[in-house]
Amino acid sequence: MRKMLLISPLAVLLSLALCYAAFSAPGKSSGPGDVIYTEPLMAVIFSHADHLKKGMVCSSCHPGLFEMKALAVQERDDFTMASLYQGKYCGACHTGNLAFASDSQCARCHIGVKGYNRLQEKK
Amino acid sequence: MFENIDKMKREPAGTLPEFERRKFLKLGFVVTGVLAGGGLLSLVSTVEKSFASSGLFLEQYPYKPHYSMVIRQNLCIDCELCVAACNETNQVPSYGYRTTILERTVPHAVGRQTEFIPMLCMQCNDPPCVRACPTRASYKDRKNGIVMMENKKCIGCKACMVACPYNARYFSEEIHAIDKCDFCFVTRLSKGEKLTACSVACPTGARTFGDLADPAGKIYRMIHQLEAQVWTIRPKAGTKPNVFYMKG
Repeated sequence: MRKMLLISPLAVLLSLALCYAAFSAPGKSSGPGDVIYTEPLMAVIFSHADHLKKGMVCSSCHPGLFEMKALAVQERDDFTMASLYQGKYCGACHTGNLAFASDSQCARCHIGVKGYNRLQEKK
Repeated sequence: MFENIDKMKREPAGTLPEFERRKFLKLGFVVTGVLAGGGLLSLVSTVEKSFASSGLFLEQYPYKPHYSMVIRQNLCIDCELCVAACNETNQVPSYGYRTTILERTVPHAVGRQTEFIPMLCMQCNDPPCVRACPTRASYKDRKNGIVMMENKKCIGCKACMVACPYNARYFSEEIHAIDKCDFCFVTRLSKGEKLTACSVACPTGARTFGDLADPAGKIYRMIHQLEAQVWTIRPKAGTKPNVFYMKG
């Protein structure tokens, strides 16, 4: 238990440091880059830049809704639209009040196989 | 030209040429669905109100079952699970396709700017490919209305590929004939399955397959409602497609 107490502030510090590093790095004032999910199906884009522009900060989502590690969440079985409708993951904000509802504007996040291939070509 | 429109002499209806008047009447029939089978069908359900009996109305679907697909365009996310399922089910080679997803981007739209449009053979009621085929390898099935291929008759002239306004055909080196979507008739429907591989694979329900002639069926209920606008691709080609598009 004592170990836990020691570790948790360390973890917070570390995540803050990571966050700080992401912001202070030259040319990366828009935060970390885009996250492209490929599971459970092809393909969904998450733009850190777009979300930061809307006044969100790291702690809005990390580590409560999403682990710090990018793409870690897509290993989970419940990373599905059904979970989003229950308020998990993206669905915490994408309810129709705070942000557009998870069951609307599908192709705003879903870039599909075509969008994925286009991004791969750019790299 | 229209500056003096108030001063212009009114033209009584009697001066309309007979042809024009008949054309106008015909247009009315199309809008109410009597002659429909393609084009805009959103007003079709008025027919049910206008005619106490649905007999006349049902006559426009000459096939039993009248296979049809409704694509809810806004639900497509281009995951292409349908394409993968189709390719596997129908042994489609890597260079060919029976169904594809088109992408349309509207850069100045608010919010969502991309739209995915699933494409497949429209199983037209008046198929230009069948008309173009010199050997009758391409034919319209008399029972269910599916545009089919009789591979052994195909000479590979590709006239049907040119005739098709939907680019729904490709030449298969493997079978040495033109290959196209047949609503999975050979691989699934003829073996007792009720749905096509693509509609089963679709995770969002963008593709609904069924019998358009069945008033209790899902497809019939989707198409014949005033609330939603239903359209077909390239209605002016006069092909009367059996694949309908809508949103919602």
